[in-house]
Amino acid sequence: MILRANGLRRSFDGVFAVRDVDLDVAHGELRAVIGPNGAGKSTLFALIGGQLRADAGTVTYDGTRIDRLPPHRRAAAGIAVVFQGARVFTGMTVLENVMVGAHAGTRTGFGAAIARLPRHRREEREIRDRARESLARAGLEDWADRDAGALPLGQQRVVQVARALCGRPRLLLLDEPASGLRAGERARLADLLGELRGEGITMLLVEHDVAFVTRLADRVTVLDLGQVIAEGTPAQIRADDRVVAAYLGATA
Amino acid sequence: MKVLIAAAVVTLALPVFLDGKQLGIYVLAGLAAMVTVGLSLLMGQAGQISLGQASFYAIGAYTAGLLSVHGTAPVLGLLAAPVVAAAFAAVVGAGVLRLRGHYLAFATLAMQLILLSVLAQSTWAGGAIGLQGIPRLSVGGFELAEDIQYAYLVWAGLAVVLVVAHNLVRSRPGRGLRALATSEVAAAASGVPVGRYRLAVFTLSAAFAGLAGGIYAFYLGYLGPGSFPVLLSIEYVVMAVVGGLGTLAGGVVGAVAIVLLVQALNELATSPGMPSYAPSVLSYAVYGLLLVVVVLWLPRGIVPALRGKERT
Ligand SMILES: Nc1ncnc2c1ncn2[C@@H]1O[C@H](COP(=O)(O)OP(=O)(O)OP(=O)(O)O)[C@@H](O)[C@H]1O
Ligand SMILES: [Mg+2]
Repeated sequence: MILRANGLRRSFDGVFAVRDVDLDVAHGELRAVIGPNGAGKSTLFALIGGQLRADAGTVTYDGTRIDRLPPHRRAAAGIAVVFQGARVFTGMTVLENVMVGAHAGTRTGFGAAIARLPRHRREEREIRDRARESLARAGLEDWADRDAGALPLGQQRVVQVARALCGRPRLLLLDEPASGLRAGERARLADLLGELRGEGITMLLVEHDVAFVTRLADRVTVLDLGQVIAEGTPAQIRADDRVVAAYLGATA
Repeated sequence: MKVLIAAAVVTLALPVFLDGKQLGIYVLAGLAAMVTVGLSLLMGQAGQISLGQASFYAIGAYTAGLLSVHGTAPVLGLLAAPVVAAAFAAVVGAGVLRLRGHYLAFATLAMQLILLSVLAQSTWAGGAIGLQGIPRLSVGGFELAEDIQYAYLVWAGLAVVLVVAHNLVRSRPGRGLRALATSEVAAAASGVPVGRYRLAVFTLSAAFAGLAGGIYAFYLGYLGPGSFPVLLSIEYVVMAVVGGLGTLAGGVVGAVAIVLLVQALNELATSPGMPSYAPSVLSYAVYGLLLVVVVLWLPRGIVPALRGKERT
């Protein structure tokens, strides 16, 4: 298992957003997390990514506890996040945004940058190459020099995907990456996620589009009111009565 | 690039044509620019504000002054100035930069008030009268005695500050800083150690101010707590905002513009018939007005407005 959550719990103002969640994700798996609005999906991601601290429970990544680590340490360990909201760096170009994503695997500090050490130059070149490659994979080459904040919201999410890729993550958390995208862009993103799975990157994917999910996911976890109400292959989930009642029933 | 070279050439040639009083203004503007570039970096790139930047200027000045008064080679005193100022910033910043929000503004303001009262009451620092008899700066037997030499020293100091800041902005940590100023959450999730970076840029801004303060001590030859009022810290903030946050040229342009303006105001306020409180009332009023004007008509400051569009 690359990721293990045990008894995770988090409440806001006395109301549980995530309640006693257990989650085991295998190496290389693409796990979909679905559930109605307010089910606790984003909160669960934030507990894994480190944006929120759990009230109780543990998160183990690659065999070590990470639930006390600050988010940048989790990023350095190989966890990347694509947030549900627009979280690009405005005032920076798309390319620069993606280059920030390389922070996780690189080292140049203030001193080396100020002194322009050769080490810095070498790494700077490497970061730029990596960022261009990530941009190309996400289909954003033509936008490289635009201000990221000026892109349509859907494209901003794709910038986040490219930024996450630039850090060469081993675990990628994607919170509704396809929302706001048109059909063609959606298909392209699905292809990219498929490719990434082929490369062995483990992914957690929140997505409301059931077709998108079933096409990609190995397994599906269903959350409702902060709790896991079902887990299984896409086929099993579609046949599950509780799921149909809690979630699919409402949309179908 | 052409603008940069032109600016370098003009500012290098300028001191030759200035009289004594004008040279003094040149030196003060250059020192203010060194401080403001650092503050602009802190405000524009890291999204934090310091209301006590003059205290690092003072710490640098007193470090250089005290060391050389007690027999340390002046050059070593000058080199120690940014180091000691940075160390103070690291201690103050370590406590408050972890917290979200503008705690740094309050902490730095408090720090300056404490520093001023400590300096005024400490006999080792000359008390309220100040530190007298600071020797001239000398490098390897060559003594800088003329004002014009200090003008070139300031020029060199500002050049160092600008090169350092420029190198930082266009680098991995520089991108991390700009990123965390717009989205702390996303920056941290990308691996940016938000607290450490903030502390580092705050420390660097203090080092710039400390270096400027060190030069100031040798230039003037004496120091008193009265040379570093809170108003001076506010002045640096106004300079940074007026010039344009987050651009290096903005720090310089803002500093020069305000120093010239203050000079003009002083002439006006001390002209015959003006009440004795005119200088301070005028300067506060003008800072207030300037901030309002800039916020209303040039919200990004002079330099970005001149460039016409956003460039980072
Ligand atoms: N920062 C917060 N402060 C207060 N309540 C919050 C906070 N974040 C989430 N909640 C609450 O926790 C619950 C779960 O929210 P969460 O965002 O995790 O749901 P979600 O499954 O991601 O929903 P959606 O599909 O709408 O994105 C909701 O009731 C929400 O109102
Ligand atoms: Mg959500």
